[in-house]
Amino acid sequence: MRKTILIALLFFMTSTALWAGGYQVSLHGQKQIGMGLIGTSLNLDASASFYNPGALALMPQTLSIQAGASGIFASTAFRMQDPSVYQAQTDNPIGTPFYFYAAGMITDRLAAGLAVNTPYGNSLKWEDGWAGRFLIEEISLTAITIQPTVSYKISDNLAVGAGLVYVLGSVDLKRALPVEGSDGEGSVNIEGSTGNFGFNAGLLYAGDNGLNAGLSYRSQIDMEVDDGDATFTVPASLAGMFPDSKVATMLPLPANLDFGLSYQVTRDLMIGMALNYVFWDAYEELAFAFEQNPDLNDSSPRDYSNTLIFRVGGQYRVNEALYLRAGGYYDPSPVNEIYFSPETPSLDNLAFTGGLSFRPMQNLSIDLSLLFILGLEGEREFAPANFGGTYKSRVLIPGLGISYSL
Amino acid sequence: MNFKKFKYILLFLPIFLFSACEAEFDEFQADAGELDLTTFVSLGNSLTAGFADNALYRSGQKSAMGNILATQLMHAGLPEFNQPLMKDELGLGGRLVLGVVDGALFPVPMQGTPDPGNFENIFATEGPFHNMGIPGAQTQHLLFSGYAGLNPYFGRFASNPAATVLEDALALEPTFFSLWIGSNDILAYALDGGEGQGIPPTTDFQQAYMFMLNQLTAGEAKGVIGNIPGINEIPFFNTIPYNPIVLTDQNIVDMLNSAYEPLPHINFSLGPNPLIVEDLNPEYAPFFRRQLEEGELVLLTAMDLLNDPEMNYGIAEPLPSQYYLSIEQLSNIANAVDEYNDIIIAAADAFDLAFVDVNAMLKETKSGIVFDALEFNTEFVTGGAFSLDAVHLSARGNAVVANAFIAAINSKYNANIPKALVSDYPGIIFP
Repeated sequence: MRKTILIALLFFMTSTALWAGGYQVSLHGQKQIGMGLIGTSLNLDASASFYNPGALALMPQTLSIQAGASGIFASTAFRMQDPSVYQAQTDNPIGTPFYFYAAGMITDRLAAGLAVNTPYGNSLKWEDGWAGRFLIEEISLTAITIQPTVSYKISDNLAVGAGLVYVLGSVDLKRALPVEGSDGEGSVNIEGSTGNFGFNAGLLYAGDNGLNAGLSYRSQIDMEVDDGDATFTVPASLAGMFPDSKVATMLPLPANLDFGLSYQVTRDLMIGMALNYVFWDAYEELAFAFEQNPDLNDSSPRDYSNTLIFRVGGQYRVNEALYLRAGGYYDPSPVNEIYFSPETPSLDNLAFTGGLSFRPMQNLSIDLSLLFILGLEGEREFAPANFGGTYKSRVLIPGLGISYSL
Repeated sequence: MNFKKFKYILLFLPIFLFSACEAEFDEFQADAGELDLTTFVSLGNSLTAGFADNALYRSGQKSAMGNILATQLMHAGLPEFNQPLMKDELGLGGRLVLGVVDGALFPVPMQGTPDPGNFENIFATEGPFHNMGIPGAQTQHLLFSGYAGLNPYFGRFASNPAATVLEDALALEPTFFSLWIGSNDILAYALDGGEGQGIPPTTDFQQAYMFMLNQLTAGEAKGVIGNIPGINEIPFFNTIPYNPIVLTDQNIVDMLNSAYEPLPHINFSLGPNPLIVEDLNPEYAPFFRRQLEEGELVLLTAMDLLNDPEMNYGIAEPLPSQYYLSIEQLSNIANAVDEYNDIIIAAADAFDLAFVDVNAMLKETKSGIVFDALEFNTEFVTGGAFSLDAVHLSARGNAVVANAFIAAINSKYNANIPKALVSDYPGIIFP
């Protein structure tokens, strides 16, 4: 069993993917996904170590272990600015973000936990030879975070918590170059990986009347790659101008400030909401510095804007063995409308979610979730390249998790 | 709840959602607007024929401005556009390809023997042709009976030896036409360094131009016309600077100044110095030489002379006068461009035709333009807008111009013709 989980983890680590605004992924617990991805005010189980470390010391179990993964089936379509017959679609690999949480009460008041998950990422491949190939052909951003967490129960109604976050990230992208030889167009492939630290802290108030309120903050983490590899494929006569090179680049993983409320309406029905404020304005530009050929250094504006995501969701307990969930959210695009690069074609997203938990026995829960995201059609442009058109996207994300608790 | 039933819902819900999960758009609806696209004829010169890299060759013709325009018109119902295609990639003219000369990239002649079929008349077997772009043609040439015997590009697809280009075009009974002509009237003068034939008088141009438009529109045909670009943006005239002689040694400066002591208007100094050129103006007798002035343009063909290590052209030996354009010659050219273009825009108005300001477009290109994530400027070879002959546009340059024609057509005739995708056309091929 243990071995299988390990193998599964290794497999998942090879590919994680986007689908929240920008390159943030919010698939960190099947129960939360089922409820519109609300989580800040919930003290369900070990998944709180990610959603709100403050909630950990108020979880109902003494020990909670869970793992899960989702499959992202995403499709983005592009239609060139009118008048044009040109259209293109992505041919994305299936993204598989995953999570693993374990947490337990060490004393009556103190809880400790470990969270491993993939809160950021982007995996995108446009069809071969597409019109935007000089901007992006394919990209894969992955980030795996490891977060040891502690939480302290101040009173029966109030707890605080914090975690140290270590992110291991990597980027792999490919662009066509507008230099043509007899074998076709040139291209550049950029690969790199890096790691950095951040933190996650939160506070949960769990009222006796069934009202929960939570507040959490995850810090910005700058992923600075300084010894990436740039590999150029160009016609022979230009090889001297495009030497393979070390490359430096930086991508900020934005900070998040989350606030959530939830209310246990009856014994069986719980409803909640969350507001996620994402500090996307940290993403100002995407720059590449080539050590062996500074002439190729390139900086292109992104100018993202902060966004506020509004989420609602709820859970209904049918019986001891079955829980049903539903929810939805609206996640406006952080991407600047005139610096909308097809490498992160993130639109205003409207999402609907559903989920259920099946508990064959007291300690075990099998959690299923389904998330459908509608990337609302919109006209966008990457002005520096005079490349624009209408984009829309559809994403379907089924997920499966398993929770064990004592 | 019946769990079995629930299981089926669970199974089918994802399948239903998967089918809704593919993002797709409706197809673009092209529309001819007020145009009758039964027959389209593109009338012009090398710029519309697909002449590039110093030759008219098969793949270049597929990227001809006229053909790109026609391909896009087909989305709105144009049934066909027949081109007088060459038999091979060498074509007619002496095609250049990019080669490596002394470690540097430079256009060199393409090796091989052209197919003899490139020189044979193909009207009977493949004609008639809708792309009536004739490389080298000046405005009046399109009306000249016997031109087929003088210009092999027309000779190979004229309907008969006495036919005029205009007659062959009219024989197709075009319902829509493009006319982009006049560049060669001025370019021929410029390419000779102002030393060959003069620029045809404006009145002659006007007469020929108006006559053609009268004939073309006689049957209610609609059309689009383009004006003439000036030469200040053409790399052939703007690659070699007027002052390429860079002196870094005071001794050499002194030596040159003392050698030129009898000619006090010639002075050398440290840094970049202008070329010494031949000037037959009596003012410069008896040696007939002077230094170039800022603003005067050196022709790209002077490159071979300037690189000749024996002769020291531009320093000891004056650069012959057919290799540069003087301020006066440039002003003749600029005036002619202005006057011709005044006539063209007035004609667009008089005949109620769509009009493209190609001249303004090219001026804009000089400082750099971007289409479909591709950058263009007017630099020789690297700029991307011009082909390797430094005079004619590249395939992508043609697509950019074709899109300007399409924009003019759409706005004039309430049409919705889709633009060409510039990056679909080939760029400069590097070895």
